[in-house]
Amino acid sequence: MSFLAPLFFVGLAALAIPVFVHLIQRERRTVVPFPSLMFIRRIPYQSVERRRIHNWPLLLVRAAALALIVAAFARPFFHEDPVKAAAAATGARDVVILLDHSASMAYGNHWTRAQEEARRIVGTLDANDRATLVLFDDRVEEAVRATPDRGALTAGINAAAVTAHATRYAPALREVESLFGRSDRARKEAFFISDFQKSGWAEQEQVRLPPGATITPVSVADLETADLAVTGVGVARASFSGEERVTLTASLVNRGGEPVHVPVVLEIDGRAVGTKEATVPPRGSSAVTFDTFTLAEANARGVIHAGKDALPADNDFYFVLSPSRPLSVLVLQPNDASADASLYLATGLRLSQAPPFTVETMAESRATPASLNGRALVVVNDATALSSPMASALQRFVTQGGGLFLVVANNTSMGNGSPLLPGTLSGPVDRLSTRGGTLGYLDYSHPIFEAFKDPRNGSFADIRFLRYRTLAPAPTDHVLARYDDGAAAMVERKVGSGRVIAFTSTIDGDWNDYPKHGMFVPVIHETMKYLAQYTEPQAWYTVGRMFDIATPIAAMVQQGQVSGASGAARDTAAVVVTPGGQQVTIGGGGSTSIALDEAGFYAVRLPGMAAARPYIVAVNMDRNESDLVALAPAEFIASATGQTATVAAGESYDRNASTPEDVEKRQSIWWYLLVAGLAALLIETAWSNRLSRHAKRAS
Amino acid sequence: MAGARFVDPHVLARIQDLELLARTVVDGFINGLHRAPYFGASVDFAEHRGYVAGDDIRRVDWRIYARTDRYFVKQYEADTNANFAVLLDVSKSMGFASSGVSKLEYAKYLAACLGYLSYRQRDRVGITTFDEDIVAYVPPSAKHFNVLLHTLDRATAERPGRLLPMLRLAAEHFKRRSIVALISDLYETPDDILDALKPYSFLGNDLVVFHVLDPAEITFPYTDASRFQDLETGEDAPVVPEVFAEQYRAMIREHIEALRSKCSESRIDYVLIDTSKPLDEALFQYLGNRERLMRVR
Repeated sequence: MSFLAPLFFVGLAALAIPVFVHLIQRERRTVVPFPSLMFIRRIPYQSVERRRIHNWPLLLVRAAALALIVAAFARPFFHEDPVKAAAAATGARDVVILLDHSASMAYGNHWTRAQEEARRIVGTLDANDRATLVLFDDRVEEAVRATPDRGALTAGINAAAVTAHATRYAPALREVESLFGRSDRARKEAFFISDFQKSGWAEQEQVRLPPGATITPVSVADLETADLAVTGVGVARASFSGEERVTLTASLVNRGGEPVHVPVVLEIDGRAVGTKEATVPPRGSSAVTFDTFTLAEANARGVIHAGKDALPADNDFYFVLSPSRPLSVLVLQPNDASADASLYLATGLRLSQAPPFTVETMAESRATPASLNGRALVVVNDATALSSPMASALQRFVTQGGGLFLVVANNTSMGNGSPLLPGTLSGPVDRLSTRGGTLGYLDYSHPIFEAFKDPRNGSFADIRFLRYRTLAPAPTDHVLARYDDGAAAMVERKVGSGRVIAFTSTIDGDWNDYPKHGMFVPVIHETMKYLAQYTEPQAWYTVGRMFDIATPIAAMVQQGQVSGASGAARDTAAVVVTPGGQQVTIGGGGSTSIALDEAGFYAVRLPGMAAARPYIVAVNMDRNESDLVALAPAEFIASATGQTATVAAGESYDRNASTPEDVEKRQSIWWYLLVAGLAALLIETAWSNRLSRHAKRAS
Repeated sequence: MAGARFVDPHVLARIQDLELLARTVVDGFINGLHRAPYFGASVDFAEHRGYVAGDDIRRVDWRIYARTDRYFVKQYEADTNANFAVLLDVSKSMGFASSGVSKLEYAKYLAACLGYLSYRQRDRVGITTFDEDIVAYVPPSAKHFNVLLHTLDRATAERPGRLLPMLRLAAEHFKRRSIVALISDLYETPDDILDALKPYSFLGNDLVVFHVLDPAEITFPYTDASRFQDLETGEDAPVVPEVFAEQYRAMIREHIEALRSKCSESRIDYVLIDTSKPLDEALFQYLGNRERLMRVR
């Protein structure tokens, strides 16, 4: 029971004052011995025992009368149990039980309570009702279709389990909207059982419920929660004596109100390699840095353990470590080229650390198709390679995913029909008379130039081009940069899985001053990374992401692990072993991707890997699930359906219950209390008058 | 010993020897103010009564017959020594003393004096002390004066009392007609007390009731609100004297008057003893009453 104006109860304190005074104003405890109390006991009461309560029932009636009146002014009302209230109404119902089984529901006893609530709702169904059990996290699953069979519903509830997925309410609400849209019954009731995580309601989407439909939120959230989570791992790499040494830093977040002191353990391939003590302040974060260690093998499984609490799933963090391997670049240059023809390029590439490049410069006459093995990309620096026997090998290399950077200058005279040349090549253009040309257009939306969009990151305006070749790109080619006269400076063409970029001037400083310009090195780095399709190796994924077979294939090709992978990704079959031990085949003409539904390590094995370590994918639950701050279900219902409701954490309310004022007004308990209080006063008056008359008569 | 009259009870309390105390008080009184309760064959004429069949015709007063033509029989005072018995209440309430002498101590002096008085007349003296039970019983005897004194000496107020049952029980001991002096604070209703005393009257005993009260019991001099504890039962009750005192005084007065009048109706001598008053004053009052009664009889 609650009260709209509980301050009126202060008035009750006044009731206690006379009784209190009465009780404390006793005779002094001096005891006088007296021969006999025979006469004392005969003496009328008022002088001896006036401080005693003569008539308890009368006093109680008086007190009750005043208490009832005060209680009436306090305007009491009862919280209604919406489940029972809904069941009490007449007519067959179409009930949808939405049961949140996201990762956060594993906190404490939330899941048990949620299942109990669901079973309780099933228990209120009568023979004419039918119910649908919908399980949701960031997905929606209709676990039990509309049925009046309570046993099936209960079995569905019992069989449901908490997943590692994040919470998203919008899909679940849309499912309700859809189910109710198909329902032909007049009474449509949905029960939304969840911990009402705030993070699950990022999308402010509204659902339109059909007339008469209700959603009853049933919250299992706790007002106070405490949780420690490992939110990420930072990897710092350093080379030492030809080996890579790694320093790991784990981030911890404490979402509770008390400081947490916990040992943090780092495991690599199942072996504990370091333990650190961490103290995380309340509602704060902390970082733990482990001792540096040498990383020898690729695909090492790393786990950070940080104690155990009510939500143990976020106390472990999974990641994969591999030594960073340099991208191998083959530079082909004319046989008669000077020694420093590729000097700027090679020097610039060697400066890169993420990723590192290894550059091998080779005269085009020495190059063979085998020279392309293990290369991430090839730079043809003003050579005639595309018209040589290497052309077909290069084309195959690019088609399979390799990168090709063409420096089109004096010696380039390849046929216009080459599929690797992005456009039609013409003679050189001299800009000597105008003190050289400049770059007039750059495609800043392209990944190569995107980083230079901000003027503070450098300018290309003062690079002078005295000569360049004219390249007319095909309609399918993409011009990345143009000179100030409109001629193409950089043109991209995609060939098969690979990429080709042609630059129409030199990179040795003969036709321009570009290599001496400050923008040369960063642009070359970005270009080579783009052509090599280099992406930062992902140490972990989040549950719910799709994982494509192309990722391990690309990684293994780049690392030279799979030399015979010559087909397309779709044709290669891989066996994936999930953290739960289940084996799934992807590729091989079927689905090329798999949904990462479990937290832990997925092992991917490709054909031809022999005894090599499988490709490992680390998957963690969405760290937003660690944030257990709950939405007020009332706000949730209001924002979801546009209707108001009053709901408190841990309690169940009907959406139609609206505000406490409305509930109190509907129940109008105050009126009954007031009548009862006045009746008690009347009884008290009659009774006390009667007693007074008796007393007078007796005296 | 005229100087012994009106001796302050506080002074008497310093005399440990009860016999000496009794002598001190009693000597100087006139001897034999009381007479034996028997009518019998003695030289002292008492009264005439009508002749009834069976009377000894030798006792018919022929002179009266000559004058009135009716038969009257002469009655004489018995000349035998009387039995004198003390019924002493030694219940806890008798131990009460607002100042100096307790009611029990005063009662002991009184009993000793009465005993001595009777002993001087060569009466047989005895005593019964009681509280919730009979504590001591000394049958009347000419040789029991010292035993009486010894019994008095040992009497202490230790246990609660049951006046009415004890009075009924003690009545069974009196086979011969006796002078019975009941000394008690009489905390029972007058009707009940008189009911309990009826057996004594039926047996022909001459009963004297000494109602011993402390002055505080009569005047109720208390002023502070306190809890009053019953000495007999140990129970207590809150009392606000400023309002209560007048009612109490009225009630105790009413009680005394009721006892007095009811005793008078039952031909029982009633003497109120205030323990603050001199002992011989009480004795004088008692003996004076007895004298008047004897004359009436």
